[in-house]
Amino acid sequence: MTPAISLSGIGHAFDGAVALAAVDLTVMRGECMALLGPSGAGKSTLLALMDGRLRGWSGAAEVLNAALSAHQPPRRQMRADTGFIFQDFALVERQSVYQNVMNGRLGRTSHWGSLWGRFNDRDHAVVGAVLRDTGLADLAERRADQLSGGQRQRVAIARCLAQEPKLILADEPVSNLDPAHAEKVLELITGAARKRGIGVVFTSHQPELSQRFADRVVGLRDGRILFDHPAGLVSESDIAGLYHGAIPDPQLRVVS
Amino acid sequence: MSRSVVWLLLVGAVVWALLTADVEMAKLGKAGPRLWDFLTRMVPPDLTIWREMLRGLAETLRIAILGTLFAVILSAGFGILASETLMRPAVWRPVRALLAMVRAIPLILVAMLMVGAVGLGPLPGILAITFHATGMLAKFYAEAIDNVATGPVAALESAGASKLQQLRYGIWPQMAPVILRDTVFRFELNLRESLVLGIVGAGGIGLYIQTYVRSFQYEKAASVTLAIVALVLLSELVNTLLKKRFS
Repeated sequence: MTPAISLSGIGHAFDGAVALAAVDLTVMRGECMALLGPSGAGKSTLLALMDGRLRGWSGAAEVLNAALSAHQPPRRQMRADTGFIFQDFALVERQSVYQNVMNGRLGRTSHWGSLWGRFNDRDHAVVGAVLRDTGLADLAERRADQLSGGQRQRVAIARCLAQEPKLILADEPVSNLDPAHAEKVLELITGAARKRGIGVVFTSHQPELSQRFADRVVGLRDGRILFDHPAGLVSESDIAGLYHGAIPDPQLRVVS
Repeated sequence: MSRSVVWLLLVGAVVWALLTADVEMAKLGKAGPRLWDFLTRMVPPDLTIWREMLRGLAETLRIAILGTLFAVILSAGFGILASETLMRPAVWRPVRALLAMVRAIPLILVAMLMVGAVGLGPLPGILAITFHATGMLAKFYAEAIDNVATGPVAALESAGASKLQQLRYGIWPQMAPVILRDTVFRFELNLRESLVLGIVGAGGIGLYIQTYVRSFQYEKAASVTLAIVALVLLSELVNTLLKKRFS
């Protein structure tokens, strides 16, 4: 298997504070990886870097066999290949569900045609299939600002899948959901990725769910990788160390 | 400043205004019958002048439409220049100051200057409305640009959208309703304001009011007033309907 992401010696500072320090990480194609860590650990920063949206970092990064630049955004094709599910969903509120999902096709479809509002048959076919897969077919005409939180999240996932990505990055996809919904959403994302044979990296605060859905769990704290284990081999002391400092306390159970 | 000082200043200002202006309270007592006389002479309104009324209304409407159109074109440019997100402070600060100055100049004064510059007729009215409306509309447009949420735009960029696609599918859908609402609102203001432009010779139905009142033809002045009220109510109705459609 070839790597989908390979990072070496990544460093980044944010207003003088260290956000990422000497991060080395490789994610294989088709692999599902969870990034765990407390707030401010650098998870979202690392994910933004993988998506090519971070500027001013140091080190070397390659995503889907193309080198990322610390100074300019990746080319259109490459941005389309990497799908990103935003924590706050980032939907265009006044547009319909259908158009929001169609926005995922913008990097794939004819550029000038799309500016006139024209999308080709394949674009419509992909959007239709994705809407069915995410259970949104009945809501296609509804405006995004009229949806519930859970529905909005599914639209964000559908938009990402409509991109036909070769890699999915998801920033805290289940942070605001109750356990039952969180499970469904992770099932949807990782299931879609497995079906397509592509890799997923998602950040999370929920160790148990992460271990259930990911092949591999990486713990990030203060911009450094604390541990990197196959999902079944993450111990309670790993989690305790990640969230409560260097001294693992066997009495402490981390729920989320 | 203590509360009593504020009150003292307020009362002082009112007393000063009453004492120094030529407000002759005695005249007010005699005004009642005269006002009554004035009103009775307006009834019934003389509707035989409907041709002049229509011509005046049409000209007023044209001034408002063209004034709004030119203001929209200018405001698109100045709105971008006054945007904090698109421009550096060295650009948007002076542009905003300029727009504030433009807004501070009363329309009637601009109209008088324009009449002096290009002569009588609707043209000075259109120019005055354009000038005056741009001061407000450009500021509104700049705010519409600055209030666009950046998250959805970043999401489109991440999905591979070009700058133009981001503008078309991320930025414009957020701005359009605000721009439309502000423009319709400004059109309604322009219509109301262009009604009085005729008084200084800048075209429109205002000329007829002035002519009829000066020549004591109150029945005709009454008809023109009714026509104006009808036009303003109609524009408000249209505005309300549009707001419902584009909320």
